[in-house]
Amino acid sequence: MSSALDRFIAAGPWPERTGMRLLVALARRPRGARLLRALAPVDQLAGGLLAMEHYEDPAVARGLGWDADAVAARGRALRREEGRP
Amino acid sequence: MTATDRIDADVCIVGAGAGGAVAAAELAEGGAKVVVLEQGPHHDADRFSAQPIEMMSALYRDGGQGVTLGTPPILLPLGRGIGGTTLVNSGTCFRTPPAVLERWQREYGLRELTVQALDPCFQRVERALSVAEVTPELAGANAAVARRGAEALGWSHGYLRRNARGCVGSGVCAFGCPTSAKQHTGITYVPRAQAAGAKILTGAEVHRVLVRGGRARGVQASLDGSVRLDVHAPEVIVAAGTIHTPLLLERSGLAGASGQLGQNLALHPATGAFARMEEIVDMARGVPQSFYIDEFSAQGIMFEGVAGPPSYVAMSLPLTGARHAEAMADYRRLAQFGLMVSDSSRGSVRAFGGRPLIRYDLVEADLARFRTGLARMRELFEAAGAREVYLPLPHGVAPERARPRDLKLMAFHPLGTARADVRPTHGVVDGQLRLHGVEGVHVADGSVVPSSLGVNPQITIMALATRLSYHLLERSCPS
Repeated sequence: MSSALDRFIAAGPWPERTGMRLLVALARRPRGARLLRALAPVDQLAGGLLAMEHYEDPAVARGLGWDADAVAARGRALRREEGRP
Repeated sequence: MTATDRIDADVCIVGAGAGGAVAAAELAEGGAKVVVLEQGPHHDADRFSAQPIEMMSALYRDGGQGVTLGTPPILLPLGRGIGGTTLVNSGTCFRTPPAVLERWQREYGLRELTVQALDPCFQRVERALSVAEVTPELAGANAAVARRGAEALGWSHGYLRRNARGCVGSGVCAFGCPTSAKQHTGITYVPRAQAAGAKILTGAEVHRVLVRGGRARGVQASLDGSVRLDVHAPEVIVAAGTIHTPLLLERSGLAGASGQLGQNLALHPATGAFARMEEIVDMARGVPQSFYIDEFSAQGIMFEGVAGPPSYVAMSLPLTGARHAEAMADYRRLAQFGLMVSDSSRGSVRAFGGRPLIRYDLVEADLARFRTGLARMRELFEAAGAREVYLPLPHGVAPERARPRDLKLMAFHPLGTARADVRPTHGVVDGQLRLHGVEGVHVADGSVVPSSLGVNPQITIMALATRLSYHLLERSCPS
């Protein structure tokens, strides 16, 4: 599990975080993923979490036209330039 | 606890979000000695990374994963820290609709809350937040898609008014504005309060509001879990938000008489649909919530823009497996728009193991609004030239046949759990936001809003907090 997704799940309320950890662990294993497919809403949630992690990877996101580092850097530069908090 | 601190103040405010920060600045500038106790931290904009997962963990309560119990479960993300939810909202500013104020006068006896009476408060808030309409250029291509559809269908629409200054359309309003263009209360009202001498304490856990002889005496709190803090103040303003304010009042043994505390929860449940367009949209370039369609607002259905970076879309896209991957590969051509319902459903919040337990079930009237709204959303995107439309419903379920459990909902505007009503038997606070039956305890957050607004509530809450502040200062709000 990536540290960002790990921190995200850890930030969640109990008992959701326990359920989410279980869900992600299942979704990462082929047998677990097959099991989840039978439960459409849960499968969508698990798939969504893994997809979120995948597309937050800067290299993957850049390939889709989104460069978070550039957006954050531009923001920082503008704040400094204009004396914003 | 290793030590006890004592602070004496004229006013103690619990929470530094939409209501608390505004009251702190107005009261401190009016000459009052103010202490603000905020549970969360101060967030440093230098650490805003424009990465949704990372920022949700940092800026939201419970990582933005709070969920209601009921059918369907509804994700209820709330901000935490200086600025509260104003730090992570979309920045949309609507005044309270006149029809809603008329309803409040009629049904809750709030006769003083007229358009004219609130106008100076709204003006003051709008000036403080630099509220202005988004330009089409800044709105970006995602808004242009919705506008094209609305124009083709002849639907009423417009660009939204927002609290932003120097916005460059970073596309991540909900994940911490990296340019500090969004004028949330943490960078507007809180610095004003501090400049006027208010003491702002973060990491403050407020245990109870202290009342003796029917009169507020202050609050009992702890700082960073180690220092006990007693704030002595004859006026207390509870502004911990719609979900947490009733819990604090309940554990203080206050406001229970009417039976309304924690009840009447409205949420403005919402959802979003996606469309695959011919053109490049790059939805995260521009202001995510910049455009609205109010053609169906009389029916309680409002369309507003919503958008975000790929990881946000990956989580929200109502597809799985290969279809999800295929749509994501075409992220640059994806457009999204949101649908928000002015709800008739009412939920409740109560403490369970020290945490809020939120119960909310969607009633038939709101289900009908979602069915209609989703069908209209499909029309909108088709009229805009969409190649494919992805509604937030299980595969094969048409909007008109959707059941509550088929809906994938989120909500951002909890309201009403300490509602205002002039009758002590029907409401928690009176028209001046004072707790019924207690001198010196007031509420200034979304919990006092007695009904759904049908529009984003932030400046309604701020205007009510402004009005409360001038009432406490025994002055009229300057226009």
